[in-house]
Amino acid sequence: MKMPGDSELERLYDAHASALYAFLLNLTRDEADTRDVLQEVFVKIARDEGLLRGVREERAFLIRLAHNAAIDLMRRRGTRERVKVNLAEVLSPFAPASDPDEEIFRNELAAALAELPEEQRAVAHLKLWGGLTFEAIASALEIPPNTAASRYRYAIDKLRERLRPLYEEMKQE
Amino acid sequence: MNNNDKQFEKRVGGQPLRAVPSEWRGEILAAARAARAEERPVAVAQESWLAIVQRQVAALLWPHPKAWAGLAAVWVGIIALNIATHEGAPRAARKSTTTSPEMVAELRKQQRMFAELVRGYESTDADRPRGFVPRPRSERVEAEVA
Repeated sequence: MKMPGDSELERLYDAHASALYAFLLNLTRDEADTRDVLQEVFVKIARDEGLLRGVREERAFLIRLAHNAAIDLMRRRGTRERVKVNLAEVLSPFAPASDPDEEIFRNELAAALAELPEEQRAVAHLKLWGGLTFEAIASALEIPPNTAASRYRYAIDKLRERLRPLYEEMKQE
Repeated sequence: MNNNDKQFEKRVGGQPLRAVPSEWRGEILAAARAARAEERPVAVAQESWLAIVQRQVAALLWPHPKAWAGLAAVWVGIIALNIATHEGAPRAARKSTTTSPEMVAELRKQQRMFAELVRGYESTDADRPRGFVPRPRSERVEAEVA
């Protein structure tokens, strides 16, 4: 028997789970951690029916919940996370490509993203793949909009610097 | 921002992201439903006024339970003392109003004496003031001659 509110949970999952998954995977670089945090977010929503009451931007609100939970998790597992990044045992947040050149670019991009500080990576992800404005990013990450914009610029500069040779090469072809 | 930068951002932002594993949907939603089902009875229990009062009292007393217990003990002592002294007063009053037969006899004797004194006072008219009754002038002259 379905409980009241199940359809609302399903709607929220279908509307936002993909975006939250990609965001969390980019932050944690671990599929098991991503699953734990994603589940934690939906469990939190299910437990507190009033949590989303009065929320204007569902996506931004859910990203905030996911981001906070991911930060908590990463702090708890700080040492393990650093080791994982150093050993490049990271899971790419990008879909596999059939074209080898494209696959190389995605792998390099994933590695370049992994080298970014977490706060810059979060902003870059939400701007580039979440399509959020700096105001929405600021609201989601609880930072000032100017901070969001400057973090994005730092992140893009680093990515460009890191990927320039490969990018220029691919552009010429 | 130049055109090259925009192209780079477009190229990077156009990379497709990994899709969320389809089997997670059922598992995560089931976990969320289970969590909600666990939460419900607690929520209902919290709605009862007794639980709210208990929670409020616990929250009030929790920071310094020994201090509150000491204060309560002092108040109990004060109330007990107050009740004890309050009950003692009427008992003493009742005790003092009880009369012994000797006292009754003495009282009756005094009453008798008082009654005799009053009767004796009423029989003598030495101190009674004489009333002035005016007489006719003719009678007054006769009296002077006589």
